[in-house]
Amino acid sequence: MPSTDVINQIGLSHYLVLSAALFTMGFLGVLMRRNVLVMMMCIELMLNAVNLTFIAFSKFSGRIDGQIMVFFVMTIAAAEAAVGLAIIVSIFKRYREVNIRFFEHLKG
Amino acid sequence: MTADAFIFWFLSLVAVTSGLSVVMMANPIYSALSLAMTMVSLAALFATLGAYFIAGVQVIVYAGAVMVLFVIVLMLFDLREETKAFTRGQVSGALKIAMIGFLAGLIVMVMAQGVKFLAAPDVVDAAKLPEDSSKALGLVLFNRHIFGFEALGVLLLVVAVGTVALARSKGGTHAKH
Repeated sequence: MPSTDVINQIGLSHYLVLSAALFTMGFLGVLMRRNVLVMMMCIELMLNAVNLTFIAFSKFSGRIDGQIMVFFVMTIAAAEAAVGLAIIVSIFKRYREVNIRFFEHLKG
Repeated sequence: MTADAFIFWFLSLVAVTSGLSVVMMANPIYSALSLAMTMVSLAALFATLGAYFIAGVQVIVYAGAVMVLFVIVLMLFDLREETKAFTRGQVSGALKIAMIGFLAGLIVMVMAQGVKFLAAPDVVDAAKLPEDSSKALGLVLFNRHIFGFEALGVLLLVVAVGTVALARSKGGTHAKH
């Protein structure tokens, strides 16, 4: 490995590790939090971590296709946020609560 | 320390700190603000990676539109202070944290293994990526990926209709017929 200077030489691995850390934080939030809104925010965090991976690979492999994929992921994520928030609003209308333990049975 | 390295370390510090506070803050509005900060720092990272158009879209769509949606829904709910912000149970919580540690190790290991198979990725610099990446992005998007682009348009229409239908229905997904 010629580039031994971890602090000064920013390579692909730095971005990948940062992305893995952000993804794991999002996963932690989805598992640990009980508020559905915060769980959706953590899902957005995971999507962003994946986007960072795509952009880093796009830069370091010199291809533009990773950015196309990020563009698509962003559109899908916006749609997903809209649908998820609509579902959360209807859950709140029914239970007056957004804690996940009130609708863990998924039936009426 | 060079300027590029300093910018990377600063932005990653901001991203990790605000990402942790998304998970750790008990009040959801602080989580939303931390998430917006994470989005902005990731947009700056995208800009340092040469993806200027994606950085702009990230700020507009994520830090703008999606976060406004989240904050408006939060204001709609008028939540009391969340009493049980985290999961209950010591054993299951410890199990979840252990699983997360396992997953993190797995991800880092897979990435470290996968980087070897690339053609020396640290050596290949941005010379192959065009300088005005926005133009190249547009050319590729509207030539090779035009069907995906149009399919996204249809999907967004369906989502808009479905969201309105879902939000207007009485009882939402739990409606009794």
